[in-house]
Amino acid sequence: MGPLGRETWAQRLGTFRASPSAFMAGPEGEDLGRDLLSDLRSEKLSEPMKVALLALSLEYPDQLWPDAPAAEAAATSLLDTLVLLPPRPSALRRPLLLAATTALAAGGALNPASGASGRLLPLLLGLASGRDLGRSFCPASEQRPLQATAWECLRELESCRPGLLGGCLGLLRALLGREGPAQPLSLLLALALRNALVIQARAGAGLQGLLTAGESSMEGGPWNWMLAEEGEVHLQPQAPSWPAAEEDECGLAALELSPEEARELRATVAQLLDASYLLTPVAQAQLLWLLGWALRGLRGQPPVLFKPQLVRLLGTAQLTLLHAMLALKAAFGEALFTAQDEALLLRRLTLAAQHPALPLPTHLFYLHCLLNFPENWPLGPTGEEAAPLLLGSQLCRGLLPSLLHEPMALLARLHLLCLLCVEDEEKEGKGQDRSPRHYLEELLAGLRQRAALDGGPRALATLCFQASYLVAHCLAGQPVVLIPLTQGLAQLYRARPALAPHFVDLLDHVGPELQEPLRVALRQEVASRPGREEALRWHLQMLASVADGDAQSATLSFLRAAAAHCTDWGLQQALLRVCRALLRAGVGGGLADLLQELARQLEDPDGQDHARLYYILLAHLAGPKLGVALGPSLAAPALASSLVAENQGFAAALMVQEAPAPIRLSVGPRRAEGAVPVLRLQVEVLEPVYSLELRFRVEGQLYAPLGAVHVPCLCPGRPTRPLLLPLQPRRPAPARLAVRALYSTPSGLTCHAHLPPLLVAFADLFLPFPQPPEGAQLDFFEELWDSCLPKGTESRLWCPLGPEGLEALVSRHLEPFVVVAQPPVSYLVAIRLPPDSRLLLRLEAAQADGVPVALRTDDWAVLPLAGDYLRGLSAAG
Amino acid sequence: MAQRAVWLISHESGTPLGGIVKFSRRYPTVEKRAKVFNGASYVPVPEDGPFLKALLFELRLLDDEKDFLESRDSCSHINKTSIYGVPVGGEELWPVVAFLKNGMIYACVPLVEQTLSPRPPLISISGISQGFELLFGVQDFLSSGQKTDSELNTKLSQLSDLLLQTCPFGTLLDANLQNSLDSINSASVTHLQKQPAWKTGTYKGKPQVSISITEKVNSMQYDKQEIADTWQVVGVVTCKCDLEGSMPNVTISLSLPTNGSPLQDILVHPCVTSLDSAILTSSSIDAMDDSAFSGPYKFPLTPPLESFNLCYYTSQVPVPPILGFYQVKEEEVQLKITVNLKLHESVKNSFEFCEAHIPFYNRGPITHVEYKASFGQLEVFREKSLLVWIIGQKFPKSMEISLSGTITFGAKNHEKQPFDQICIGGTAYLKLHFRILDYTLTGCYVDQHSVQVFASGKPKISTYRKLISSDYYIWNSKAPAPVTYGSLLL
Repeated sequence: MGPLGRETWAQRLGTFRASPSAFMAGPEGEDLGRDLLSDLRSEKLSEPMKVALLALSLEYPDQLWPDAPAAEAAATSLLDTLVLLPPRPSALRRPLLLAATTALAAGGALNPASGASGRLLPLLLGLASGRDLGRSFCPASEQRPLQATAWECLRELESCRPGLLGGCLGLLRALLGREGPAQPLSLLLALALRNALVIQARAGAGLQGLLTAGESSMEGGPWNWMLAEEGEVHLQPQAPSWPAAEEDECGLAALELSPEEARELRATVAQLLDASYLLTPVAQAQLLWLLGWALRGLRGQPPVLFKPQLVRLLGTAQLTLLHAMLALKAAFGEALFTAQDEALLLRRLTLAAQHPALPLPTHLFYLHCLLNFPENWPLGPTGEEAAPLLLGSQLCRGLLPSLLHEPMALLARLHLLCLLCVEDEEKEGKGQDRSPRHYLEELLAGLRQRAALDGGPRALATLCFQASYLVAHCLAGQPVVLIPLTQGLAQLYRARPALAPHFVDLLDHVGPELQEPLRVALRQEVASRPGREEALRWHLQMLASVADGDAQSATLSFLRAAAAHCTDWGLQQALLRVCRALLRAGVGGGLADLLQELARQLEDPDGQDHARLYYILLAHLAGPKLGVALGPSLAAPALASSLVAENQGFAAALMVQEAPAPIRLSVGPRRAEGAVPVLRLQVEVLEPVYSLELRFRVEGQLYAPLGAVHVPCLCPGRPTRPLLLPLQPRRPAPARLAVRALYSTPSGLTCHAHLPPLLVAFADLFLPFPQPPEGAQLDFFEELWDSCLPKGTESRLWCPLGPEGLEALVSRHLEPFVVVAQPPVSYLVAIRLPPDSRLLLRLEAAQADGVPVALRTDDWAVLPLAGDYLRGLSAAG
Repeated sequence: MAQRAVWLISHESGTPLGGIVKFSRRYPTVEKRAKVFNGASYVPVPEDGPFLKALLFELRLLDDEKDFLESRDSCSHINKTSIYGVPVGGEELWPVVAFLKNGMIYACVPLVEQTLSPRPPLISISGISQGFELLFGVQDFLSSGQKTDSELNTKLSQLSDLLLQTCPFGTLLDANLQNSLDSINSASVTHLQKQPAWKTGTYKGKPQVSISITEKVNSMQYDKQEIADTWQVVGVVTCKCDLEGSMPNVTISLSLPTNGSPLQDILVHPCVTSLDSAILTSSSIDAMDDSAFSGPYKFPLTPPLESFNLCYYTSQVPVPPILGFYQVKEEEVQLKITVNLKLHESVKNSFEFCEAHIPFYNRGPITHVEYKASFGQLEVFREKSLLVWIIGQKFPKSMEISLSGTITFGAKNHEKQPFDQICIGGTAYLKLHFRILDYTLTGCYVDQHSVQVFASGKPKISTYRKLISSDYYIWNSKAPAPVTYGSLLL
């Protein structure tokens, strides 16, 4: 495509600027970057048009050349265009330099491997240092402006790639001593110096003669990327020169400077500061920030170097200069500002914050600075706004709010006033009748009066509530302030109920100190109304927020009176919302009557349904459950329709939810005693559960159905007692128990979970026989032994023994069932197996690796189980 | 220190969008640094359209105020500085420096060279004050001399080139944009050795120095026992030094007559090279005493080429120039007013003009006025519900004048009649507008012989003085009136 005409470009640029993303997504988006570069060389386009194209590339290089290779190519093309310009004056050279710099820096293409970088950097340095680049490059008249531009380009590159000009420090220093514009050079030197110090400190190295390297260091030869390569790693969130974020981040303390280097550094800084009056005020401020940054925490570099500048700066009205001074204050503290200096700075700041000659945004920023003033010896916690110690009420007098102030100024000054009231309270009992607190009260009253103005702008109401919030927040511990505030707000509501949404918002945000009394006051305010006014919908909205279990009768009678006037759907819904709030608060009797009335009386069927539903819920659900049923739905809180949200809340609350198991069960060590076998279940609690019901089902009907186990409450981390589960075997056999849990969550939902099945082992069913009288044991056993046959069966088997021998085995597994013991050689064991079986064992003549066991039982089916059990004993340990 | 983007938005209430982006400039190299520095808390600068909408909402400049909106009206949504968090695309762009001045919103986003969560205190961000200075600079440039829309548009169209000059990469080089414009226009200016950056060229021609002192006096008068009247003088000294040489030295001294009121709260231009500590410490914060420094106030300086404000000061004169009382009594549909004004004998009785504006807020239009003035004439602006008492150039010999009258109002119509948030109920004021040439209330003057100029040639020195009223209110003494803390300290 040939070069586009002027008109086309103008139109294209217009469309692009309106919405770059939309343009780039369109059909022309892809070609824009390419067309722009090629048309810069077109002879058909005028210079102003080309400047406009370059201006676009200065703002949107990311869109034009979205990746590093494209940026590299673009920069190369721009440099080519620059070199090819005919040697007459042209408005394009400056923007071309800026555009090439922007393309490389913004496109991430600035690196040693980049050809364009390799061309741009020496070109910039050559232009900047005034070296002869051949007459062909630019006419003499352009040299000065291009020189300044080249410095700026280098500064930007150094900002994006710290350390890039580290190798040029010596050159920059030498140039600063000569003629030429001082500002760009000073700023670049300060920036490069700061970056070099930070990088070298991190590397644990010194300045390595960088400051004294002569001009020749950068001449000829390739660019020195060494520092930049190290710096690259460190272009990461870094702390500004501010104490709160300071400490080790910058870590300049690690920098070891030789005495020679320290001297050179001091000389450089002094040189920069001495020439600083030649800089514009904003540039002076930048220089001070950079040098403050560079020297903070550096050993052997006393900040007194800054001192000669301070008096001059203190007197100015310039925002940037005073701000830079505060930065120095924060960076060096007492080392630069004595207590007297601090007091003076504070006074200047205080007067600047109210000086009639300065604009409002400046006042507000200075007020912020006052409340965040970097004190030499701060008392309070860091990071919190506070009035500095030296800022007494005398100093603050002119900074206190009045109704005539703009909202922002009023709030900022009100904050200060609140801080003073806190202090005032601490001093206590001065007996002043015009204390800050009285003034605060009058001010708040004035704000309320304005907010009460019927038809007044909402901003006035907002301001009043913001002020009330601020006061409640700052002076939460002072009932002497909160009581009149509460009364005043209640009066405001009486005067203008339409502010109900603001009241609801305020109640939602303030702490309990104001919230509780205000809630009561507002409830009384509403309940005392006749309930038939225009403001009914506001009263109902207010009541829905403040109604609770107290003073029910007043609330209910208000509602009853109001019901007659709730003629449209909106009002009825508002009324029902109050009922709902009362339901949640656990209001009972009177409300049931009201709901029944409403169900009959309301004209709208939707309203009737709701009233009926609430009545049914009230009648059938217990308090806590009701609260949850009516609470906001956790699942979909953002749904616009109250009905849908409500129904979802009900559904969630009234249905049983399937959930992952909140507990883990295991069968613990058993105690063989009692009439039936009892499982001792160990519980591990994973999440809190309430009203837990555990249900067990025996697979294969081996036991009688098991009763459920109930636990009121289980909490993780709290010790739990084992749960006892009595078994009623129908046959003496091991079994699997399926387990389900039914419980309530802390949020009130009812949940159901399947737990892993529990295994009841054969041995879990063992019970001892009643102990025979002393001396009759052997007879007792023999009698049992004999009784097994002929109905039952007899067997012999080999029970392997571990290294511990028979005695240990018996004591561990069979102790409760031993009837006759003759350790270590002979044991007679009788085991009762519910429901009515028995298992008898004779363990005699033990050998090293086992014992022969004679076994009798009256139940055939038990035999294989007993065999498995005995053979498994030694393995069980 | 750098800015990520700058906007100028004209606020046009009543239009669908509420405003138009007149100018915007983004700085992609700064944006790239922001991405690295802010890390996970980085929020990109949005396109103009979404930004406009979000900013107007945040500044409460969209017309729709009818309903309570929590994101705007919540009591906890408190802004105490002109620095905002602007919600864009579910995230919040912060810090956005923005303010509205004469229908134009000036906005920029300073770079924060650290993570934004938690938000660092504003005081620790160097780009905040730089951003303000940039916006103030743009504002000065646009408002200087600009009267018509076409002039404004010309200036807006120059802005892009100017910022290319003074803020090529988002770091501001000079807040004085007019300077840059001059230097573009005179590209061939040869920079001499050690030329200050704030001086774009050198002056060639007859040396002359002009110094003018303008004092504004404000006052709040209540005529009440328990509330003290307040008044204050705010002065500005403007200079234009046309002197040859790259850095001529000048010393300007402000003097006071023996009974003059000491100057306080002095803020000076950065070109002042040193300041006496007595000047630095004299402040209105302290209780006044006889030992207060009363000059001469010497300002050694190296002047820039353009006209500049050498210093600002305040002063507490012993009495207000005009003492008045104002009483309003409501009688059914009528208001009865009585005004008394007395010029202090020490004040020069020769005004360029002197008027008392008596507005009536939150009422209907004026339907009928009966009045009696001891001096001057009364003009009635019925629809605006405003009376203007034109006092003229001189007070009569007695120095005391009075006005009384009865005003009847029609039915209130919210659309047409002025609303005021202060003048509720009986609260009402009258406001004095006056100007006296060749006079200062403090007595402050520049003695031509005390101006020292260290440059070739003897310059012609001219000095000017004037006193202007500003916020000079006299409140109805029969009703409550807004007070400042200062007026309660009797």
